[in-house]
Amino acid sequence: MNGAVVWLHGDSLSPTDPALLANPVAPAIFVFDEPFLAAAQLSFKRLFFLYECALEAIAGRTGSIRRGVVVEEVRAFAAEQQATAVHVTASVAPRFRQYVAELRASGLQVVVHELPAFVTWRGEPPRRFSSFWRRVAAEALRPTGTGPVLPAEHDVE
Amino acid sequence: MQLRTDLTTRAEQVAYLAGALDGLYAGPATPAPIRGGRRAALRRLRAFDARGYARTRNDVAKRGVSALSPYIRHGVLTLAEVRDSILSRFGHTPDTEKFVNELAWRAFWQLVYAQLGDRIHQDIEPAKQRARVARRRLPPEVIEAATGLVCIDESLHELYTTGYMHNHARMWVAAYLQHWLGVDWREGADLFYRHLLDGDPASNSLSWQWVGSTFSHKPYIFNRQNVERFSGGEFCARCPLASGGCPFDDSYENLALRLFGVSLAELEGRR
Ligand SMILES: Cc1cc2nc3c(=O)[nH]c(=O)nc-3n(C[C@H](O)[C@H](O)[C@H](O)COP(=O)(O)OP(=O)(O)OC[C@H]3O[C@@H](n4cnc5c(N)ncnc54)[C@H](O)[C@@H]3O)c2cc1C
Repeated sequence: MNGAVVWLHGDSLSPTDPALLANPVAPAIFVFDEPFLAAAQLSFKRLFFLYECALEAIAGRTGSIRRGVVVEEVRAFAAEQQATAVHVTASVAPRFRQYVAELRASGLQVVVHELPAFVTWRGEPPRRFSSFWRRVAAEALRPTGTGPVLPAEHDVE
Repeated sequence: MQLRTDLTTRAEQVAYLAGALDGLYAGPATPAPIRGGRRAALRRLRAFDARGYARTRNDVAKRGVSALSPYIRHGVLTLAEVRDSILSRFGHTPDTEKFVNELAWRAFWQLVYAQLGDRIHQDIEPAKQRARVARRRLPPEVIEAATGLVCIDESLHELYTTGYMHNHARMWVAAYLQHWLGVDWREGADLFYRHLLDGDPASNSLSWQWVGSTFSHKPYIFNRQNVERFSGGEFCARCPLASGGCPFDDSYENLALRLFGVSLAELEGRR
């Protein structure tokens, strides 16, 4: 057992998710977080949007979309796939950090991937956007490439 | 519980998910007109013309905005790739620079969230001014988009039916709920969060705090003139309160006094 699975969450739900790109053939899972959603009662629109994003993100590989307790479902999926490592892309949400800690405590290795940076920033942010902008504007306005390849004009629904 | 991933039409997927996620959502099981997924995100990115953005972004009728927020919020597009795409296609202009500046707001809110965690859902700073109106719970007419004010109701209706609301309308609604109705910002933020496709703990709660002055140096207010100007007069033209009784129909000086009991200079922290 030394394989890896990719855990996708709502902050990085794309076929270009860095954890997916780093593991081009690994099985991937997305979980509708049952306790969280049962309490939050979001609109169906939002959940369906997530579903459409998740379907496209896992297309072309062994993929699973589930409803349940995130950490339990990811653990079960890793066991089914005989994987000991979970790859995931970073999120600033406190819930994400908690889930990573729980996965690690359960014995899984968790590898956290970073999103390509918009600007580099170390330490605490200032209290107001204006002072943030003053310090990052030059970097924010410097492109790092030409962006994704866009579909042709005639490609419509 | 394992969900199906083999259904191909949107109608089949909607019908299936409505049952499979039963108990986890509120309201009707209808999808948004905005589609999820990377392909739809790239089509939207391609369709967005940044020329004129600086001039039209605040206009809720002209809609010179990208509508990319649901994709950005869920990481379907990163801030970096949106920036790169816009700058490489439209060059460095006042429009593209303004657009990148707006992207930076999201980056900023995310940094604050990384630092404060769930504390972003409580007042970060004391309010600089408090509205005088008595505190009240979120009234039913807001939940029903039936306040009688066309600018507010149509903005809420769009939120409830499409999962999107224009930024300027979000500011109007957030200010109306807090400063005119006396609703606690957390209740307003919760309402938005439940309906927005781009609903994001940081961008949402921190924007509500920015409007309320618990994370800015002054409360945000607006008046009828502002609504008329940034909606091409459309809302007021259809509003029964336009000829009398519009709560926004006043000068900023009078609104500062009426709502907060201070002069405009005081409200804006100039005194
Ligand atoms: C009360 C209130 C609540 C809000 N709640 C949210 C929320 O839950 N999620 C959310 O993404 N935005 C939120 N915003 C910010 C803003 O209204 C939306 O990001 C914007 O309207 C999205 O539309 P767009 O993609 O067409 O914007 P564009 O003008 O095309 O901007 C491009 C992108 O920049 C980012 N952006 C622009 N303005 C802001 C801003 N003020 N704060 C943060 N990011 C910004 C978004 O990612 C947006 O997609 C809120 C604003 C207010 C006033």
